Amino acid sequence: MNNIWKATKLDFSLIRPYVKTICFTMILPVVFAAINHSLLTGISFAMCFIAMTTGYTFSITEKNSMERLYGILPIRKSDMVIGRYIFIIIMGAIALIFSLVAHPIILLILGESVSILDFINAATTGIFLFALYTVFQLPGYYKLGSIKGRVFMYIPVAGFLITLLLITKIPVGKSMLFVTLINSPVLLIVFAIMLVAVMYAISIWVSIKILKNKEI
Amino acid sequence: MNNYLEVRNLSKSFEGFQLHDITFTLPKGYIMGLIGPNGSGKTTTIKLILNMLKRTSGEVKILGFDSITNEQEAKRNLGVVFDSNYFSDEWKISQVEKSVSAFYENWNTQKFSETLKRFHIQPSKKVKELSKGMQMKLMLACAFSYDAKLLILDEPTSGLDPVSRDELLHILSEYIEDGEHSVLFSTHITGDLERTADYITYISYGELFFSGGKDEFIDSFKIVKGGCEELSADLSKKMLGIRKFSTGFEALVKTEDLRQFAHLNVEPATIDDIVVFTSRKGEQYE
Amino acid sequence: MKLIISNISGIPIYEQIKQQIKSAIMSGDLQADETLPSLRTLAKELKISVLTATRAYTELEQEGFVKNIQGRGCFVLGQGSELLREQLICKIENNLSEAIHAARVADLSEEELHHLLSILMEEKTDE
Repeated sequence: MNNIWKATKLDFSLIRPYVKTICFTMILPVVFAAINHSLLTGISFAMCFIAMTTGYTFSITEKNSMERLYGILPIRKSDMVIGRYIFIIIMGAIALIFSLVAHPIILLILGESVSILDFINAATTGIFLFALYTVFQLPGYYKLGSIKGRVFMYIPVAGFLITLLLITKIPVGKSMLFVTLINSPVLLIVFAIMLVAVMYAISIWVSIKILKNKEI
Repeated sequence: MNNYLEVRNLSKSFEGFQLHDITFTLPKGYIMGLIGPNGSGKTTTIKLILNMLKRTSGEVKILGFDSITNEQEAKRNLGVVFDSNYFSDEWKISQVEKSVSAFYENWNTQKFSETLKRFHIQPSKKVKELSKGMQMKLMLACAFSYDAKLLILDEPTSGLDPVSRDELLHILSEYIEDGEHSVLFSTHITGDLERTADYITYISYGELFFSGGKDEFIDSFKIVKGGCEELSADLSKKMLGIRKFSTGFEALVKTEDLRQFAHLNVEPATIDDIVVFTSRKGEQYE
Repeated sequence: MKLIISNISGIPIYEQIKQQIKSAIMSGDLQADETLPSLRTLAKELKISVLTATRAYTELEQEGFVKNIQGRGCFVLGQGSELLREQLICKIENNLSEAIHAARVADLSEEELHHLLSILMEEKTDE
């Protein structure tokens, strides 16, 4: 655990010079939420944005040939990978918490009402979308590097567009599971968290495999 | 434990290149030069030692720890210097310490700042503002701060001016002075090794040519020179490498064969002579 | 004591160190029981390999000029040492045989050789 946390901290020191840029990207979704009068689209947009920055650690590492540093540090490759996932998840969590505070405030100022259910739905969707993007992005970056794996940066954009489409198209009430979940916030959260945990577990396992077989 | 680095039957196959059956041992307290022309497999050997490349077969032990099954323990006492630095350009020197020190339990902050002072590196500078020589010293300063027992340097002198090269050699001699530290140093600038290295491991075309004491290495070869008419077919066979020109020839021979060449002009060989002549593999050019 | 290493003399470095330490002992520059610099310090200062310095010291010890005491350093045995005397006698014998050999080649008689020796010895005493 100790080594994992050290790896997370090392990742943080990598993106430190870029923190301002990343924070700035969180402002735009607020505007988006205001224009659309929708918490759900605002949060989806925010998570899409923050997921687009997950390649930063990889590109900084690549630019400075820091895989050599990672290669000589006395730390297991698996700890390094898990450390990076934790770092990415923390970034996502910060973005989500910020958006969950900022967006409702803006909406309330604009005279929209935000129900607890809306809030929980948006939060769950945010978590799920971020997980969905990153579980594909990270193994992609590990496999190809951030330059060749540039395409993975755009997964969130595609995901966001699809989400927008689905939100308007899904005929609510068609699927039993969907209805049950929507109507029971507790069940929804539990289900989402379990799903996300499984997704990350598989993704981490794949990334570790990739890194262990990688030749620098 | 007396051997700080043990490499046994190390092999690696790439497309179009093969490192084959490399074996050598570096005892505690000495400097070993890893030599060979570019592309001979020096960096591959070092990356295999560091487990950055996957070996096809063989075994590597760093301070007695297997470099794969005990990777963490092996790397805890290992310092590495590459030809360019491996820190983030944007980091300040103080941030380098912050980021790296956490990984080493015995990191000594005081030692780090002392070493920086000695190397004239300002902690407020950014990594990208340092010259090549300074970046190399920064990597050394890190290794010294956790008292790395084994230092591996991959082509550290390429791109350094003579002053920095001399400084580096002095730093390394000091580092091993207490007899508790060892250095593996890969270079194609063999002049760096001519005096300070204790051992030489010479890799040529992916094969181990020699590994042992430097004096023994240099003493096992001689340069002979003579006029064209003195060059018989019999003698040619005994030559490891030869250069012919209009007024004569010079060739590298084994000291044990020297008796046959006694009538020629005999000179001691330098490391460079040995590498140059053996890499040409008897091929002649005018 | 002064130690100077030449890179172009063609004489191996360990041999140069040996010769210079030996002559320092013989000339009295190095007295009995004086310590030589430690192997590793010597290597660092002369920018030579530790193994080269080790070889010089080991051979000096084998030839009876110095004594290595583990952990304490390398001590000069001094001119009075029996071994050193033997060494010197051996050296004289070698040089004299060489002189005899050269004399034969030059067709010099025994008398002439003796004469030459006396002249040289006189010259040395004058110095």
